[in-house]
Parts: sequence; structure tokens; C-alpha cells
Amino acid sequence: MKRSEKFRQANREAQATCLAAAAVIVFWCLAGFGLADSDITILHTPLWVWGGCVGTWFFAILVTIFLTEKVFKNFDLDSKEEEK
Amino acid sequence: MGNILNLLPVLLFLVGMLGISAYIQRTSHENRQKDFAKDYFIGGRTLGGFVLAMTTAATYSSVSTFVGGPGMAWVIGYGWLYMAIVQVVVIFLVLGVFGKKIALIAREIDAVTVIDVLRARYESNLLANMAALVMVAFFCSTMVAQFVGAAKLFEAVTGFSYVTGLSLFGLIVVVYTTIGGFKGVAVTDACCAIAMIVGMCILMGGMMSAGGGFENMMQYISTKHPDMLEPLSRGKMPISLYISQWLLVGICTLALPQSVVRGISYKDTKALHRAMIIGTVVIGAMTLVATWIGVLSKGILTEGIKAYGSVDNIIPIAIVKSLSPFWAGVIIIGPIAATISTVSSLLLSTSSSIVKDVYMNMKGQKGESLSNSMVRVYSLTATVVLGLVVYAIAINPPSVIWQINMFAFGGLETAFFWVLIFGLFWPKANKYGAIAAMGGGVLVYCVTMAMKIKFMSLHQIVLGIFFSLLLFLIGNAMGKTHDEKVLRIFFPEKFED
Repeated sequence: MKRSEKFRQANREAQATCLAAAAVIVFWCLAGFGLADSDITILHTPLWVWGGCVGTWFFAILVTIFLTEKVFKNFDLDSKEEEK
Repeated sequence: MGNILNLLPVLLFLVGMLGISAYIQRTSHENRQKDFAKDYFIGGRTLGGFVLAMTTAATYSSVSTFVGGPGMAWVIGYGWLYMAIVQVVVIFLVLGVFGKKIALIAREIDAVTVIDVLRARYESNLLANMAALVMVAFFCSTMVAQFVGAAKLFEAVTGFSYVTGLSLFGLIVVVYTTIGGFKGVAVTDACCAIAMIVGMCILMGGMMSAGGGFENMMQYISTKHPDMLEPLSRGKMPISLYISQWLLVGICTLALPQSVVRGISYKDTKALHRAMIIGTVVIGAMTLVATWIGVLSKGILTEGIKAYGSVDNIIPIAIVKSLSPFWAGVIIIGPIAATISTVSSLLLSTSSSIVKDVYMNMKGQKGESLSNSMVRVYSLTATVVLGLVVYAIAINPPSVIWQINMFAFGGLETAFFWVLIFGLFWPKANKYGAIAAMGGGVLVYCVTMAMKIKFMSLHQIVLGIFFSLLLFLIGNAMGKTHDEKVLRIFFPEKFED
């Protein structure tokens, strides 16, 4: 990979990371505030706590796995050797 | 006065940290002889994924993760947990946005600190010195506040005096940071992160058995304090607080220099990818368990806030009430680990600012260069002296320290947010914009904080970030775009050869 391609890839990854953070915010709203009116409780704990707190954590992990598996690419960080 | 035997677990832990640092110092001997600053301040860019994740998470989570936050959860309920969980984004965000770009650039220009990168990008010594000043001021006040928080907790839980606790972990962290350098800090941070998680799990277990199990405690809370089960906690948790926190402890943490510097330190892209996943798992688990402990402690500490003094006393009292003195002595390792892992990173960042960013640069401008052994002497001396100064201030802390500490997080974010983002992603950004954004933004933030001016009852970080952006754009319009030589380093994709 040429140095300019690496930078282009890094830009793509940064954008995808911002989108991922936005997705976590949307999920957090829906799974927390969105479920706040539900009467369902698990272990005497309301559903929005499980969705908005534990759920958001799981969702963030899944999003990060997706990012690193599907969007992020491996390349050599040292440019000097490749210019040969 | 407490029983000396109960201090044994903490002592063993701290001696372990010293041992690790001493070992790392010995194994890095050769690298330090070649290029001291690079090995000492950035670990020779050799961190693997696990250590990178743990050191980023441990630096981020502090004594307030253990004490202040859970104490507030005891008052507010699940709303506080819902707010705290926004922190799951902090690790993947900083590593995903800046991680690769700053690593590529740092290798190109041989940068050791975030300020090295800013200096090269904006070609401004004024900006670099301003950044160093902001970092030193905010880092020092954060370190003092960390020491004070942990020493108070130590006193409340073990029965030994404040100064005993402070001297014990305060002096040890200064010593091990000084000898271990960045790699020592990173590896001890990883151990600290593990100690935090183990400590939290033991406390959670102890509380469950003291309170008659999770369901039992939740049943008590749902009948006695139903407001604690609502996200807005009947007005105690307004929407504006949620928005403020998303910015202050979520999105804007992107630009905290103590996190961004970790982007310079890792070995390869695989390590970065793995660190993003591990870091997100760890930071989420810590936040969930610690804050959940706070909510549940309502089932054990059933009286009003007056009976316990202040919010910061809730967790120490919960520890003493739910665990035997021996186990209390074990889990105190958790918050101490949280404290020393934050202090060690900040201490090293501060001394690198002073030695590398300011002093060595001044010498360089005069055309003088420092020999490797002089860099060694100055770096070690700066770290130890700074550490001792912070320790001395913490012995008899000024009462204003808490307010200064509240400044610090938002102040660092305001100072670095746009300067880093535009610097690395916007070729047209120039030094006039950056200087205006950093200086003006911090000024607006501090003044509005001091005068308690708020916009729509949102935290002052909103004003700081907004004005910083505005000033950046205005300042930028007045200056010229930097020349091609700089831009080729930072934006090679714009110059197709």
C-alpha cells in the first residue's frame, strides 16, 4: 500500500468510527428512553436498565468488532521501507 | 488506627508494581542508551493490543469511577448508571479516529508526544508552548485531586491516617513511574485495570451477601425508592445533564491528550484493532459494575444523606459495612489502582511536556543539542520532582482543588478538540485558527465556569467547544494555508504523485 492510500484508508476508518459512535447514541436512546414506559421487569429491575445500560455495552462491543473486522485494514505503519 | 495486617494486600500490590517497573527498566536498558526520550516517553512504539487497551482504559478510569460516580448513583439511581454507560464509546472513538493517522505521522516525523505532532503540523512554537502550559496545569490539578480522593478513601476504609495512605501509594507511584517510563506505566496500568475489575467483583459479591441478594435489594429499592428506577429520576436527572455528559465524558474525550498519545505508542495495526475491542469490553464492564454497586448500596445504606455526611462517603461506608476488614483491605487495591494508573500516565505526560516539548525544543532552537545522557538526567529529575510537588500539595490540599479538578477534564477537551481534529483531517487548518481556538476556547470555558454561566442549563463544555470552533474558523480565515512540505507529511493523499 502506498503512503497516500494508507492515509485514505485511515480517513475512511475515522469516518466509520464517527458513524459507529452515532449508532451507539441512537441505540442508547432507543433501548433506554425508548423502553422507559414498559412495565416489564427482570429481577425487579426495569427493562430500560437492561436495554439502555447492559444493552448499550453489548451493542458497543458488537459495533467495535464490526468496525475492526469489516472496515479497518491491516497495513505496515512504517512508510520508509516501502518506498524502496 | 487500623490493623497493620490488613494493609498487607495493598503493600504486596504496590511492591509488585515497583518490581515490574524495575524489571522493565532493566530490559529497556539498551534501547534507552540509543534514544532515551523515545523509549522513556513512548516505550519505543512496541505496545501490543492487550496492554494498549488496558493502559488506555486504566488511565481514563480514575478514583471517581469508584467513589464519586457510585456515590451519585446511590442518590439518583439507575439514571446515573444510564448516564455513566455513555463512556463505552471513549476507547474505540479515540483509537479509531486518531489511532492510525497519528501513528503514521509520528513515525514519519519521529514524534514522541502529541505536542510534537501539533508543532510539526502548525509550525508554531507559541501553540506548542500554550499546549504544554494547558497540559501541565490541568494534569497537575487532576493528579492532586486523584491523590486526595484516594487518600480519603484509604483513611475511611483502613483506619490508617490520610498522610499514611498518601505517602504509601503516592511515593511508590512516583518512584515506579520515574524508573519504568512509558512502558512501565503501560504494563503497571494493565495490572491496575485487572486489580480494579477484581476489586469491584469482590465488593459486588460482598454487597450481595450483606443485602440478601440482588433481587432482595432491588425489591427494597423498587418499593421504597421507585424514583430510582426511572431514567429521569423524577427530575433529579434532567435531559440537559444527559446531553452534557454525552459531550463531557463521551464524545469530547476523543481529544484528551493523555489518550491520544497512546496512538503513538503501539506496535502495529493488529494491536490497535484488538485494543479497540478489549478496551470497549473493559471500560463498559468497569463502568457498569462500579456504578451498579452504587445503586445497590441503597439497599444497605438505607438512611438519608445526612447520616453519611457526603456523597463521597457512601462507597467507603458501603465497603466497611459489607466486607470484613481483611476483604476491605483487599478491595481497597481497586480504587488505589485506579488512582495510581491515572497519576502515572499524567505524571509522565507532564514531564514529557516540560522536558521534551519545552526545554529540549528551546535548546534546539538555539542550535544546541542535548546528549542522550543529559536527556536522561533531565527526564528522570523532572518526573521525580513533579511527582513530589504533587504529593506535597496533596498533603494539605487547597480547598479549591475540587473546583479546579472539575475544570480539568473539560478544559483539556476544549483546548485540544478542534486543534487535533482539524489539524489531522483538514488541510486548510492553519496556526492562527489553532492558536485562537486553544487560547480563546480555554478562556471562554474557564470564565463561564468561574462565573457559572450556562447555555440552556448545559455544562460549560458546550460553550467552550462552540467558541473554540468559532474562533478557529475566524482565526483560520486570517491566516494562510501551510506550505506543501508540511501538508505532504500530514495529507499525502492530496498530492497524487
